[in-house]
Amino acid sequence: MVSCWLNFRFALGFLIAILVHPISASEMQRCAEDDTGKKLCLSAAAQRIITLSPGATELVFAAGAGDKVIAVVNYSDYPPAALTLPSVGSHTRVDMEALMALQPDLVVTWVTGNPPAQVELLQELGISTFAIEPRTFEGVSSVIERLSTLAGTEAEGFAEAERFRSGIATLTAQYRDVDPVPVFYQVWEKPLMTVNNEHLIGKVLKLCGGVNVFGDMQRLIPRISAEVVLQADPDAILTGSVDGISDDQLDEWKKYAGLTAVEKNNLFFVPASPISRPSPRLLDAIQTVCEKLGKARERL
Amino acid sequence: MTRSLLGLGVLALASMALALALGSVNVAPADLWQVIQGEGSTLHRTLLLDLRLPRTLAAFGTGGLLAVAGALMQVLLRNPLADPYVLGLSGGAAVGALLAMLAGMGTLIISGSAFAGAMLATVLVFGLAHGTGSWTPSRLLLTGVVVAAGWGAVITLMLAITPSYKLPGMLYWLMGDVSYARSPWPAVVVLAVSVVLIMPLARNLNVLARGPMQAAALGVAVRPLEWTIYVVASLLTATAVTTAGSIGFVGLIVPHMLRLILGNDQRIILPASALAGGTLLVLADTLARTVIAPEQLPVGVITALLGVPTFLYLLHRSR
Repeated sequence: MVSCWLNFRFALGFLIAILVHPISASEMQRCAEDDTGKKLCLSAAAQRIITLSPGATELVFAAGAGDKVIAVVNYSDYPPAALTLPSVGSHTRVDMEALMALQPDLVVTWVTGNPPAQVELLQELGISTFAIEPRTFEGVSSVIERLSTLAGTEAEGFAEAERFRSGIATLTAQYRDVDPVPVFYQVWEKPLMTVNNEHLIGKVLKLCGGVNVFGDMQRLIPRISAEVVLQADPDAILTGSVDGISDDQLDEWKKYAGLTAVEKNNLFFVPASPISRPSPRLLDAIQTVCEKLGKARERL
Repeated sequence: MTRSLLGLGVLALASMALALALGSVNVAPADLWQVIQGEGSTLHRTLLLDLRLPRTLAAFGTGGLLAVAGALMQVLLRNPLADPYVLGLSGGAAVGALLAMLAGMGTLIISGSAFAGAMLATVLVFGLAHGTGSWTPSRLLLTGVVVAAGWGAVITLMLAITPSYKLPGMLYWLMGDVSYARSPWPAVVVLAVSVVLIMPLARNLNVLARGPMQAAALGVAVRPLEWTIYVVASLLTATAVTTAGSIGFVGLIVPHMLRLILGNDQRIILPASALAGGTLLVLADTLARTVIAPEQLPVGVITALLGVPTFLYLLHRSR
């Protein structure tokens, strides 16, 4: 009995050795570091991916792994293919049962957007999680590359990352020498909120030659008063809206005829979702912002 | 008396069975049975044993804790509007938790810090209400309400000056929801132990509910009794808040509901609160996670939607 067991163990060990060895030689583990600095290694390319933020959905699609996404969270509205995918609830309250039932081999989470308790529970249940939240243009490229590494779609992913990188480089070169325009970006109307230079939107403004009048503030998304906006007297005011269509968000400023931005008619709307999500669509957003600031420059 | 408790016990078990059977993913009764027997597929085991069971227990424990704490506070303060949070306990817990989050601590330390915050709030109110003069429930209530307002201000201030990348975690904590609960055991164990321990005090509580003068005349040591209730209620609330954040409504409404049905005898009301509070939160949480799945509702919405009409019906009938 004992010898039989030993034989069996030996045979099993041998079997594992011959099975594992060639695999580990030919297909290396797929490893990538997430945006919290945690290293994730997958033994095989991810085939069943669930994304827990609309931005993550865009980035996984950009990484060329769109056909491996099996579920998303609400508001994953881009690319259009994401609209047909099943949902596992909202990013603030994930339906854990629905998620587990889909048996994902990779869940892409949102560093600050998902409840920490739910992400920890996923990890305890043995699900591979990869937390992302790019805060720079290079971060967008890098996360696309890392996601494509995990999904085994390096060809598409690295090409897309490079396209974004060179797009940024081209735009940066194009707008390097334009005249600076003091600008105020209104994130929210009530309460009044803006961004500082650390925020991706702040970086977009800067690239286009905009000088964020609140760029030096401490917080990423500072709450401010209307008074300081009047005092700063920006040459242009920008805000995001659905598809960049004008709405009433900036009407409040029109009663201050003395504001340069109002006087010169420099109140602009840009499409909200491309500029507020760290994805390759930032290129479109930058294009739009740069055009608006160009108009503002002409009118000064 | 035992019959009504038995009935509530059966209801509690039924609600837990329901919570295990229902979810956003459909598990067939045959599969359920397999899992109960220790078999079944990995997925079904995960769904039932790793997701539904801990969550159901956490909901039951939290609901029970809040209802018992509410019942005790209402007797202690002789005020029908008293609930477990009225003396600022949840505020203290929140400040403790947020401080730990600011310091970048892990979940376990955050829970510990929340508990410490709640106990600090308790001691603070205890000390301040004591003061130099004589002690009365209204003085305790007033002190608690003012201290609670203070905690509220501190929380708002902390949120306003927190680096924004730490903000979401904090907001989740403040929202209070069973889906964010981690381990159910502290809640369940504290609930069981404390109900057993306070039962011998229930007779004295009945006397106290009629007023401290009468209680003293009947030989009840009023002051020690009051402080015991205060400490126990605080401990219960602190455990509940540490488990699932501050979930409102259960602690206020469940004891009142039971008094309308069963009469104001603490010997029944206290264990009945534990059972009914747990049942209410289990049912509410089951609905919250299934009604519009995969969308998950905050449990507080359902507790109120279930509790308000039930309470109003009982109140109307009692006239």
